Amino acid sequence: MLNVRLFDITTLLFGVASVNYVAALYGKKVILARIGTWVCVAAAIVSTAAIGVRWAESYKMGIGRIPVTNLYESLVFFAWSVNLFYLAVEWKYRSRTFGAFVIPIAFGTMLFAFTNESSIQPLVPALQSYWLHAHVITCFVGYAGFAVSAGVAVMFLMKAKQEERKVTGGVVGLFPPTKVLDELVYRAIIWGFPFLTAGIITGAAWANYAWGTYWSWDPKETWSLIVWLVYAAFLHARVTRGWHGRRAAILSIVGFLATIFCYLGVNLVLSGLHSYGGA
Amino acid sequence: MADGKRVDSLMDQVWKFFTSIKLAIFIIIILAIASIIGTIIEQNQPLEKYRQIYTDGAIRLFESLNLFDMYHSWWFLLLLVLFTVNLSCCTIDRLPRAVKVVRNPKTTLDENLEKSLSHVDRWKKKGGLEGLAETYKAAMGGAFAKPLVTENSGTLHLYAEKGIISRFGVYVTHLSIIIIFIGAIIGNVFGFKGFANIVEGESVRTIPTRGGTNHVDLGFAVRCNKFWVDFYPSGQPKEYASDLSILENGREVLRKKIVVNDPLQYKGIWFYQSSYGAAGAASATLAVHSPDGGKVETVPLAPGQKKEIPGYGTVSGVDYQNDFQGLGPALLVVLEKPGTPPAQFWLLKAYPNFDRQRGDSRYLSFAGVDQIFYTGLQVAQDPGVNIVWVGCTLMVIGIMIAFFMSHQRLWIRLSRGGDGRVEVVLAGSTNKNRLAFEKRFEKIQADMKAVVA
Repeated sequence: MLNVRLFDITTLLFGVASVNYVAALYGKKVILARIGTWVCVAAAIVSTAAIGVRWAESYKMGIGRIPVTNLYESLVFFAWSVNLFYLAVEWKYRSRTFGAFVIPIAFGTMLFAFTNESSIQPLVPALQSYWLHAHVITCFVGYAGFAVSAGVAVMFLMKAKQEERKVTGGVVGLFPPTKVLDELVYRAIIWGFPFLTAGIITGAAWANYAWGTYWSWDPKETWSLIVWLVYAAFLHARVTRGWHGRRAAILSIVGFLATIFCYLGVNLVLSGLHSYGGA
Repeated sequence: MADGKRVDSLMDQVWKFFTSIKLAIFIIIILAIASIIGTIIEQNQPLEKYRQIYTDGAIRLFESLNLFDMYHSWWFLLLLVLFTVNLSCCTIDRLPRAVKVVRNPKTTLDENLEKSLSHVDRWKKKGGLEGLAETYKAAMGGAFAKPLVTENSGTLHLYAEKGIISRFGVYVTHLSIIIIFIGAIIGNVFGFKGFANIVEGESVRTIPTRGGTNHVDLGFAVRCNKFWVDFYPSGQPKEYASDLSILENGREVLRKKIVVNDPLQYKGIWFYQSSYGAAGAASATLAVHSPDGGKVETVPLAPGQKKEIPGYGTVSGVDYQNDFQGLGPALLVVLEKPGTPPAQFWLLKAYPNFDRQRGDSRYLSFAGVDQIFYTGLQVAQDPGVNIVWVGCTLMVIGIMIAFFMSHQRLWIRLSRGGDGRVEVVLAGSTNKNRLAFEKRFEKIQADMKAVVA
């Protein structure tokens, strides 16, 4: 299938971009990072095309549905979201050092997708709903925000450690100042949080429309709530108790680990209503 | 509010406890941890299943802590109550302050205020006080927002603000959580959730409630006229649908075909397509023809049943195949005629004249199988659900206001300096998003300095 070939090219591009961003940091070659950016732009175009082609191909097969309904599709959509979110951050903050910490997340996601069944499967009746679009898109934009935040949080911790030791220069020396990193950890979360909220709400609305229950403490629902609570705690700690810097960065990484578990762990480890997402 | 000098009374201490953000963060974390436990220990499973996983001692311990139905346990509900109380107290404690800030804006930049602000700049300008005030008023209106001018003993103050609403985003969000809880409580107290299996052609008036032994009288009847299920070539179900009628006093008042994700609603009660199953065994239909092709009779044939065809013999169906050697549905029948040995042969649905070749006084054709299904419906009445949706909408709006808007304030103070020139002081503050405001302030700074009187 053409779409799968395009996704494979996307994987390759993310790999190339990751290498470029990391090499740019260690080799201190700005040109490499600039290439990384253009490769990411290319990956954005190719993966967007791939999603469109897959969508069209599903119609040709008489199945006709948005390609976000199984693990393979959700993984590529997640990588797509992370990449776009990242490019927006790079453009806004005019720093390419983030790439080395965020684009590998997209690359790893695509590699994981590569090991999964990639054929287009028809939809079970429970998934045949327009709520699917709103629910999946909002959730994944939220996840992408948390991924970017966690990547920057790692940078923050490295930079803060270097400042503590009063060392300058080196790879970490190229990072933006901790003040900027700290702010970005926060800002990526305040973008992700309303999207996650909307994702949980659209999921609840859909469940109510399909089963007559908007909340049934299904493991996926519960884990989405756990993720929501972790970030709610982060936001309260930050806004009202001044949790900046190190503690905020650690909380952001914890939140992203909870997000990964909500997204993958629940399907692979626990059972419940979202079990089709794991096949 | 306690003024700190005297010892806090007990009431003050209790109040302080419930209005603290520390408590809020603590409850949020405990809720998260409890929720994790509830996903690790599978909820509401039969005891046999728990016996396979846990030792008897562990089961006794978990049961005493209600861990098998944790989300409905007294301590989890208590946690939610505590959460709500904390939320309400925080709002009652802080909302009046926010209202005060909004209602009594500090329109003059006095020295105390100036010292407390991080964005302050000053310069001198030639010209008259009034004239400069007019110029800066216009410039501020263009660069930020239209200012208010106040005069205070020879000094002119310009004040402008933006995004006041951002002070209330957090309260809208907190209120929305309380609204959602209210909706959930109303739904639990005044609504019900049940399940009904209705065989095709039959109707029900009462519904057993989910998990309980109670029955709910609907006040009307719901009949399943027909049920269908379609499959993908892979054998996966593609769609299942029920043709339902609502009957009031035996009269049909509403009819709708429901599928998964498209329920039927009548008098606030919703019927959701949920599952299905076979009701009894399938029966085949045979048609009996005279040699000229005229139809003599139709014979329904249950599995293993022998049916007499008057004046001809007896027939029974012994096997059925959905696709017989690529020729489609087929029925294997045994025909017994007096005086001849029993004959066994296949009848193909797609070739109704196939049996004519026997050249007998009658020939048979297979009209198809009939499977009676029952449809499985989730039935729910939830008078609180719309309140929940109002809460959800408010939550998204509240979060957006809280995070993406900020209350930004800008002051300019004009006073006559000792050297005859006018001293201009520009100051700004924001309650959120300092980095973005820093840039904005720098831009305004440049704009204001470039103003030509």
